[in-house]
Amino acid sequence: MSTSAFAAGSDFADGGHHDTHHHGDDHGGDHHGHLKLQYQPGLPLSRGKLIMWLFLSTEIMFFAALLGSYVVLRFGALQWPKPHHVHLSEPIGAFNTFVLICSSVTVVLALEAAKANKTSLAKSWMLATLVLGSLFLGVKGYEYQAKFSHGIYPVKPMGLVYEKPDLYYASAVRARLSDPVVLEKLAELDAMSETDMSSEEVAGRKSLAEVKRLVNDPDQQAFDIAVVADQVMPLPAEHGAHGGAHGLNDTFDWLRLPVVIPGGNMWASTYFLLTGFHAVHVGVGLLVFAILLTYTLGPATAGMIENAGLYWHFVDLVWIFLFPLLYLF
Amino acid sequence: MPNSDASHGSSPNQGDGAAEHGPVTTPGGLPQSAHQATPATESHHDGHGEESHGGLKVYLAVFVALCVLTTMSFFTYSPLWPWRDEPQVGWAFMMAVSCTKAMLVVLFFMHVLWEANWKYVLTIPAAMMAIFMTIMLVPDIGFRSRMVSQERLLYMARPSDEALMHQAATAAEAKEDGQEAH
Repeated sequence: MSTSAFAAGSDFADGGHHDTHHHGDDHGGDHHGHLKLQYQPGLPLSRGKLIMWLFLSTEIMFFAALLGSYVVLRFGALQWPKPHHVHLSEPIGAFNTFVLICSSVTVVLALEAAKANKTSLAKSWMLATLVLGSLFLGVKGYEYQAKFSHGIYPVKPMGLVYEKPDLYYASAVRARLSDPVVLEKLAELDAMSETDMSSEEVAGRKSLAEVKRLVNDPDQQAFDIAVVADQVMPLPAEHGAHGGAHGLNDTFDWLRLPVVIPGGNMWASTYFLLTGFHAVHVGVGLLVFAILLTYTLGPATAGMIENAGLYWHFVDLVWIFLFPLLYLF
Repeated sequence: MPNSDASHGSSPNQGDGAAEHGPVTTPGGLPQSAHQATPATESHHDGHGEESHGGLKVYLAVFVALCVLTTMSFFTYSPLWPWRDEPQVGWAFMMAVSCTKAMLVVLFFMHVLWEANWKYVLTIPAAMMAIFMTIMLVPDIGFRSRMVSQERLLYMARPSDEALMHQAATAAEAKEDGQEAH
């Protein structure tokens, strides 16, 4: 279809009637005297942009569904973990917010440079966007690693999270402690002399013996199991208070005893679902930017940059809501 | 003839006609190849006055505003935040800040401020359906713990579990202090 597709529908439909007040002749003589039928898209924007906006409106609903169910699940739960219970670092989240905001600015500047036909400048801004987006994903990966290392996974086989310090938790700790691999390591630990160990490991060995005694105690009380859970992985009372509270799982990384985070399982499901889908969107955006970098970014490609930018701003927008909801609520 | 008007790449019956006509009279350095029917020329004739909005100053102002707003919501996390005991104040504040940031991004970075009226057709129904869907989740999911059976309550995490964990932590600390004293 031709560029002239942007003529308004109604105007063309009764074009004869409008002839009188149109200053059609100021443009010289192209198409003079020919009545040429034209395609009418109906909206004053390019098809690419229209489709991008339609796609974004479905994305609004997609993320609204995710965010909405998160909010409803979170506020409907009897118990929801505090951000520091699940090892979320607010400064890291804030840093990632800043990175995404910067990348939104760079993509806008790339578009402006491309429109002004400054192709190399546009390419630099585009490259900066790509780097910032990758930085975001890198930080996200680091954060995921911190969750995994504390046994927080969205699914059970890998995840170590128990909802409360009860009999089921105690029996899971017993089961782990009688695992052949762990038994071997425990025997090695017991055989070590205190001079070869750090003070932390010496204290850890003592508390591990206490944990073993408590989980096997026939007179075990509810409070004893809470003591076990606290020794394995304490819940920091306030952020910053315990200074990254250390438990047995941190002292001995092979131990991987089950941990208690009240409300932790639902939290993990929503956290990984929300940030995972967001990270996938960031990844797709990076792919688009990488492809765009192979083009000459001048006025001819400005439309493509604009559409990619619209998508990227939307991804930024989602994070603007995700950050406070996940890290600060 | 409507043809010649059409070939300018702008529609005369636009709501915000004045702004839309920007590029017709002042194409602003863009190559005059608009009559060639290529997708590329189509896309840079999106129908809004490219030169009449945006600009480095506007984008930088928005960027600074976004940074300030992010710092503001991060401030609720700092010990200086006065409403530490009423988290609802912080939540309302953060949502207000987030909505402001979202509006800034949508209006300026996504150029919605300068778009024609089609923007309302796409965004308002989507936003309404999103809000409606969230509200529809409230009776079943949001209120699920109000009608929970005694049996399920046995297996659900409750605030008492967190309290028990903190008691255990306090006891352990006291024990440690006692050992150090001896």
